[in-house]
Amino acid sequence: MPDKFIIPIGPQHPALKEPGHFEFTVDGEVVTGASVRLGYVHRGIEKATESRNWNQNLYLLERICGICSHTHAMAYCLGVEKLAGVVAPPRAQAIRTLVGELERIHSHLLWLGVAAHEAGFDTLFMYSWRDRETVMDVLEGLTGNRVNYSANVLGGVKVDINGQQSDSIRKGLDFLEERTRHYLEVVTTDTVFLQRTRGIGVTTNEQAERLGLVGPTARASSVVRDIRIDAPYAAYAEYPVSVVTEAAGDLEARFIVRIKELFESYRVIREILDKLPEGELQARVPRRIKAGETISRVEAPRGELFYFIKSNGTDTPDRIKVRTPTMCNMASVLALAVGHQLADMPMILVGVDPCFSCNDRSVVINGGGDCWTWEQLRQYGIDYYRRKP
Amino acid sequence: MNAIAALLIFPGGLFVLFGGMAYEWADRKLVARLQNRLGPRWFQPLADTVKLLAKEEVIPSGVNSFLFLGLPVAALAGALTAALYVPLAGLAPSYSFPGDLIVTLYALSLLTLCTGLAGANTSDRFSLVGATRTLTQLFSYEAPFLLALLGPAMATGSWQINQINQYAAQHWLLVAQPVGFVVALIGLMGKLELPPFDAPEAETEIVAGALTEYSGRGLALFRLGKNAELMIGLTLVASFYFGGIANPLEFFGKTLGLLLGLSALQTLMARLRIDQTVGLWWRYGALLVLAQWLLLILAQGVMA
Repeated sequence: MPDKFIIPIGPQHPALKEPGHFEFTVDGEVVTGASVRLGYVHRGIEKATESRNWNQNLYLLERICGICSHTHAMAYCLGVEKLAGVVAPPRAQAIRTLVGELERIHSHLLWLGVAAHEAGFDTLFMYSWRDRETVMDVLEGLTGNRVNYSANVLGGVKVDINGQQSDSIRKGLDFLEERTRHYLEVVTTDTVFLQRTRGIGVTTNEQAERLGLVGPTARASSVVRDIRIDAPYAAYAEYPVSVVTEAAGDLEARFIVRIKELFESYRVIREILDKLPEGELQARVPRRIKAGETISRVEAPRGELFYFIKSNGTDTPDRIKVRTPTMCNMASVLALAVGHQLADMPMILVGVDPCFSCNDRSVVINGGGDCWTWEQLRQYGIDYYRRKP
Repeated sequence: MNAIAALLIFPGGLFVLFGGMAYEWADRKLVARLQNRLGPRWFQPLADTVKLLAKEEVIPSGVNSFLFLGLPVAALAGALTAALYVPLAGLAPSYSFPGDLIVTLYALSLLTLCTGLAGANTSDRFSLVGATRTLTQLFSYEAPFLLALLGPAMATGSWQINQINQYAAQHWLLVAQPVGFVVALIGLMGKLELPPFDAPEAETEIVAGALTEYSGRGLALFRLGKNAELMIGLTLVASFYFGGIANPLEFFGKTLGLLLGLSALQTLMARLRIDQTVGLWWRYGALLVLAQWLLLILAQGVMA
């Protein structure tokens, strides 16, 4: 229909920090239709893993996501260890869990800032990112890196925690806990901000179940779904977390869930520091992994991260398949968009905490057709350029 | 000779342009410091302007190029015209006649109108939505803002800015008409599209709103116009409600004090949606000012 007025958001747009393409059909300010195209940052990592050995892949897979890098490495390590029949020592598992929770803190604070910015509340953005530096510094002090910590190795971890580091983590957490309490107060009491979040983008419990949402997005619609509790991995069985849910399902609930999860993370990290088991940091993992296949699931800051790993008994994997939480949550953006105002779109989109470059897998457009051989493709190319004027 | 100087140097031309840039810097710096950022260096607005003026101006296809080039000029001209009638720098206005308050307010609105037209002129979808929002916002804050500035005029019994300024020097109208002051200050924020009233140029939704297609000279002129309007708007509100402006010291003290309040308000709030903006103005702003008017008229009737 030619009389449709479509607002394109992306691939390059100030609201998006990564490329994705959304088309919102609007009637005045009200959105009447939405569509999405992803895949702009497809990097072929899954295929690349097949030509690297198990150790090299650790480096590569950690770079799938710049925000939740540790969870990717952890999911991969846990899967490969399962295949090899090796169990990492308890101290290593505890440190993995600890870094995972620190990463959750940094990711949730980052999201808080981005979401506030989308609502035009730049003050909250600036303050939450300033405070996020605390946890970045803690991670740097612990692992030597701010972003890709590379704390994992197959069979354990690279980094140990000494008393001094433990103290600096505690100090950072005390500061962050106080600030987080303040942010919780801001997002639940600031009248102007609540006008932009309360009752906006309501996802009912049924919708969340039907769309298969994961992570804090699902928990904000009172779906009790958290891999840390449903299928405890690493050291979550020894240091259990309690699930945070909200009933409202709107944007405000997503803010509350993520902020309350921060308190849970602070508590778990302190518990781990108190009761850190002594012992080895690494178990030996053979160079060749026994043939077989396995799945590995961890709770990334955005929701369930799923790894399928298949080995053919050599030193390189046969297949690694990654499903990131953004993929599961993206459907909710389109489902919620219709009927809302254009001004709410960035908030609804960011409400699921999208991470496009994690999310972009190989894309099949109009799939199901015949497979072209190399010769056919080549011929098509020649014909195409011959036809061109 | 004097007339030319008034138009080109003080208060019309150079003074307002450079003063406006200084006020823009002060505003940006204050907001940045309140947000725990460093903020721009003092010459940043000037550097931006010079850079933009030197850049190529891209005229997109599908626009009326006469309007595309002419609207920024008209917008800046409107703002500079308004400068002639207000007591800038605490000196008496260069021109003054009964009813110049109305002329000034309309000259100030020209900028918003030109922005809206500039957006509607291009075929960019962000610009069109931005233009719609700019004009919607104009209709929502304009009436309450006008009414809020007419309050002091009624108290004075004159619609001449100079006389109101002199009357206000004896009476702090902030105390007598607090509602009018609040509405005028917030109206000024709406006029300048400052947060939380920046829906017309909400970057996370519609990039740069009505001015998305502008680059180079056109954008520079619009920005200069907006800076001039910031300075003139602050002057008007300060002289009407803050006990008048009689000398340069009072001028800078009072307008900068007001700017501090303006910056604090900007940092405090999230962006309002355009429907929320309209609702706010017509449901509360306009009604409160009208209620104050009624009280004013009654009080004057009782005293007379």
